[in-house]
Amino acid sequence: MIALIRYSFATVLHTQRYLAPLLLFTGLMGVLTANGSGPLPPAYASSAGALFVASTWLTTALIGIDSPVQRAIVVVGSGRAAKVLAGSIATVLISCLFLMVFGLLFPLWVGSYHVRPADLLLGVIAQLTCTLTGIAIGLPCSRLVLRRQGVALLLALALVMGFLFTHGVPPVNRLFRLMATSTDSTALLARSTGMLAVATALCLASACATHYLTSRRE
Amino acid sequence: MPRLEAVSKRYGRGEWVVRDVHAEIPAGEVVAFTGGNGSGKSTLLRMLVGISRPTSGVVSGRPRQVGYVPDRFAPDERMSAVAYLTHMGRIRGLGTRVAATRAHQLLDRLALVGGKEARLHTLSKGNAQKVALAQALLVEPELLVLDEPWSGLDASAHGTLTEIMSEVARAGGSVVFTDHRESITRVLSSRTYTVRKGTVALRPPQAQPAHRPAAEVVLTLPEHGGTPGEPDWDAIGGVRSVARSDARLVVTVDRDSVDALLLAVLRGGWSVLTVTRDERDREAGQPVEDTAAVPGGSFR
Repeated sequence: MIALIRYSFATVLHTQRYLAPLLLFTGLMGVLTANGSGPLPPAYASSAGALFVASTWLTTALIGIDSPVQRAIVVVGSGRAAKVLAGSIATVLISCLFLMVFGLLFPLWVGSYHVRPADLLLGVIAQLTCTLTGIAIGLPCSRLVLRRQGVALLLALALVMGFLFTHGVPPVNRLFRLMATSTDSTALLARSTGMLAVATALCLASACATHYLTSRRE
Repeated sequence: MPRLEAVSKRYGRGEWVVRDVHAEIPAGEVVAFTGGNGSGKSTLLRMLVGISRPTSGVVSGRPRQVGYVPDRFAPDERMSAVAYLTHMGRIRGLGTRVAATRAHQLLDRLALVGGKEARLHTLSKGNAQKVALAQALLVEPELLVLDEPWSGLDASAHGTLTEIMSEVARAGGSVVFTDHRESITRVLSSRTYTVRKGTVALRPPQAQPAHRPAAEVVLTLPEHGGTPGEPDWDAIGGVRSVARSDARLVVTVDRDSVDALLLAVLRGGWSVLTVTRDERDREAGQPVEDTAAVPGGSFR
């Protein structure tokens, strides 16, 4: 698995496919969280939103990075297609963990907030929830499942918008509504952990569906 | 032993690509699938290595270490050939140092032109094919599957590839390859399956013309340089086997086809080193000249 992750990182660094999602993430962070003040939950909701969009884009870019022939070579070398998919997902997840650290610290650096441990914990849960939901959307919109990039882009946009703005839809919209209307992070921890569980289940279901659809098409 | 049992394949509700295929790949043998373009050879190989699932039927006995050389390897990778092979070696379970050493050894043996540090996307088709071959050999394969492996390779790499296939088979591995030229499959494989319109038939073993005298012709690359193409062995007729060693071809041919062979290979740019009667004929005491050497007998 480590070898697969190293290979994925090497490929994504050489192709520079990470650049556009990274720029989008830093841009959104600058616009949404600079010079903020007051309670932290709304600021962390903004950084989690930026990570949601970036993780979706990063997933579609990274999962379809290998040509079908190269992917076949890697699958034969590793022995199982599911292992290769898991390696790619792990690579996205690790990349998003780096962005998550930035998303947690950047608002503290450019704004003036009252920081408590519960705020940081809520920030981690919110960003993990958004990362996993972004991966869940990005997987079926990658080249593995949808060869037509235009269709994949439209579907990804529709799903991101749906999860962001459809009233009360878990996990993203409901979590953001909770964070936007509350100043007490401790009171939100239990419900946000529930949203994290939903996002984890979504990500697992999406990975299984992607593997099934890919193997059916081969 | 890898085996295809009643294997059929179609994509979606499309036409059957292959149907009710039975084939087996015994250990220590070189097996060929021959057939025209679009006959279903590549689909069979993809199912054999496990990257494509049969619509019905079973592929059984696939060993753990499989080497797969695809038909078209056009990498869009910006990493170097050595770095790429080191990654592939690690994915196959090798340590970094062992994978890098093995990568260097294989690229040296296959004589990669352009340098081991050349980025993959800058390599020519033939050199990219050498990298594709090297990745399949990083760990000694128990099953080596090659899809049109001679495509794009130069004459010297042809010999190396044939040596590698023989080595894998001698070590007890199974080797499967496809080629649309029957001349190639006939001389290199121990059993040949003919693929036609999705159906596969085992070609009966050729009757060995032991009663007919044979001769051995050794060909070499011309001194003035250049890379002659592969002669059309089928058109010449009477060719029993072709073995490659470094830059030489050793052709065993029916005695009465020697003249036709010499004419064809000299026209093709090869240089004839020796023409010798077959050892079995000599032992039988047949009255033929001992050796006819034609050093440097190339023209063009």
